[in-house]
Amino acid sequence: MNAVIKRIGSVTGRVLTQLRRDHRFVAISLIFPLVIIYFIKIIFDVMASPFFNISVYVIPYAAFIVHFITFILTAIVLVRERTAGTLTRMFVSGYNQIEIICGYLLAYTVLATVQSLLVLVELNIIFELGYTLSHLVSMFVVMWLLAVISMAIGMLVSNFARNEGQVFPFVPLVILSVILSGIILPVEKLPEWAQVLSYITPLYYANEVLQVLIEGGSLSDDWMLLIALFGYGLLVVAAATFSLRELD
Amino acid sequence: MSDPTTIVISDLHKAYGQVQAVAGISQQIDCGQIFGLLGPNGAGKTTLIRLLIGSTKATSGSISVLGLDPIRQKSALRRLIGYMPQTPTLYEDLTAYENIRFFGQAHPIANLADRVREVIEFVGLSERATDQVYKFSGGMKQRVSLACALVHQPQLLFLDEPTSGIDPKLREAFWAHFHQLTADGVTIILSTHQMDEAMNCDQLGVLYQGAFLAADSPRNLLLGSQTKIIVQKGAVREAYQVANTREELPSVLQQYGLDPAVSQIAVEEDTLESVVLGMIQQHEMNHTREAADERCN
Repeated sequence: MNAVIKRIGSVTGRVLTQLRRDHRFVAISLIFPLVIIYFIKIIFDVMASPFFNISVYVIPYAAFIVHFITFILTAIVLVRERTAGTLTRMFVSGYNQIEIICGYLLAYTVLATVQSLLVLVELNIIFELGYTLSHLVSMFVVMWLLAVISMAIGMLVSNFARNEGQVFPFVPLVILSVILSGIILPVEKLPEWAQVLSYITPLYYANEVLQVLIEGGSLSDDWMLLIALFGYGLLVVAAATFSLRELD
Repeated sequence: MSDPTTIVISDLHKAYGQVQAVAGISQQIDCGQIFGLLGPNGAGKTTLIRLLIGSTKATSGSISVLGLDPIRQKSALRRLIGYMPQTPTLYEDLTAYENIRFFGQAHPIANLADRVREVIEFVGLSERATDQVYKFSGGMKQRVSLACALVHQPQLLFLDEPTSGIDPKLREAFWAHFHQLTADGVTIILSTHQMDEAMNCDQLGVLYQGAFLAADSPRNLLLGSQTKIIVQKGAVREAYQVANTREELPSVLQQYGLDPAVSQIAVEEDTLESVVLGMIQQHEMNHTREAADERCN
């Protein structure tokens, strides 16, 4: 067990060193969500009435942006490992699936933490949401959890792609999840069969918890949803680990 | 305890769809030597190495490497083997030291930092150890790649075309490393399509279309070669095949040596390349004949 933890640490350390040196990648991951949120602000300023409750929409939208960007970047990075041959070399050197997936996940969690934090601070400032610190911390927990799950989904998808190009057919699925999650319109308004599909998207659970927080509630009000989000994350990490192909 | 016979391969097959990459190989490879897999591109050298290290599964047949099954006992096996892929598969944004340390961290090495420094010195990169790999030449990357494969002191080393694309001086240095490693008791399985360096191996397996055409020492492979005496008479070139040069050369010299029309008398010996090409041609002819016989029947 100690050896496994040590090797997870080695993968995390290596990925973090690479992240530290890849300024472009880190900049894209951190700045793009902030820029997109800024443009959403412009759209809302032009189109929404002054009495409109912006929070109901912008906070889940921001969550989706983090979800989408984290998913894409993680998927591509892991596929790059496969095409470069370093994944095979890692396996032959003695690293196994769980060590590689957990190592990556831990390293990217650092990025996701900074990303979620910056997004929430920007939201609070430019939309003048006026939430208390405890509310913002609760929202951060949900957004951070969603970002970590998005990374795990990215890793899962990358296991089914032979090159970077093969990641892109999965993008429409992520976009579809916005409609299914209830961010644009309530899930109850969807056809019954589509409502079932909502439960497959992590964004649904994240949005449900965020809506409780937006209405002034706390994480404990609907803790089952938060547990569902945790469970979802664990399931995806397990699926990503088991589907990480070592053999041709 | 590892098997004294390093590798035992029995009727090994590997197919990718309709393509037979490995088509029925049976071979034993003993420890403490350099065994070269020699063959043209697409002969199945890389696939065979990947089967031996357990990174691809055989369609049929069996393999035992150091007494272990490469698929079922891969964790145990991977502590004992080192692998250097065909291209220098490294993290280019990491330094040479960081790359070697990362691959070393997969193994329980008592004093990893010292061992990494030792292996960097072995491949002659001490002065560039803290440089990022993307700044390195192809040859330097190959050296880092070799160091990554050596860091945990494996008993058995798989090197997939380790000297492809590097200059003759560095190639010589690599071979010096390989000989030093075998002297220390390491067994090396390497693939190559370069005949001159194949001569450095203790044993050679000539691979073609996924099967061994021959497996023997380079010296024994050359035993079946032919020697010719070439007599250049003006524009005419006459070739005499001889069984024993020492005995037959004097009579040729006596016959032609004083002939003013003869401008040159030379002895030409088959090289490993011509021996291998001869084997391939023979294999092709047999294959064509068998196909024709099958059609007739």
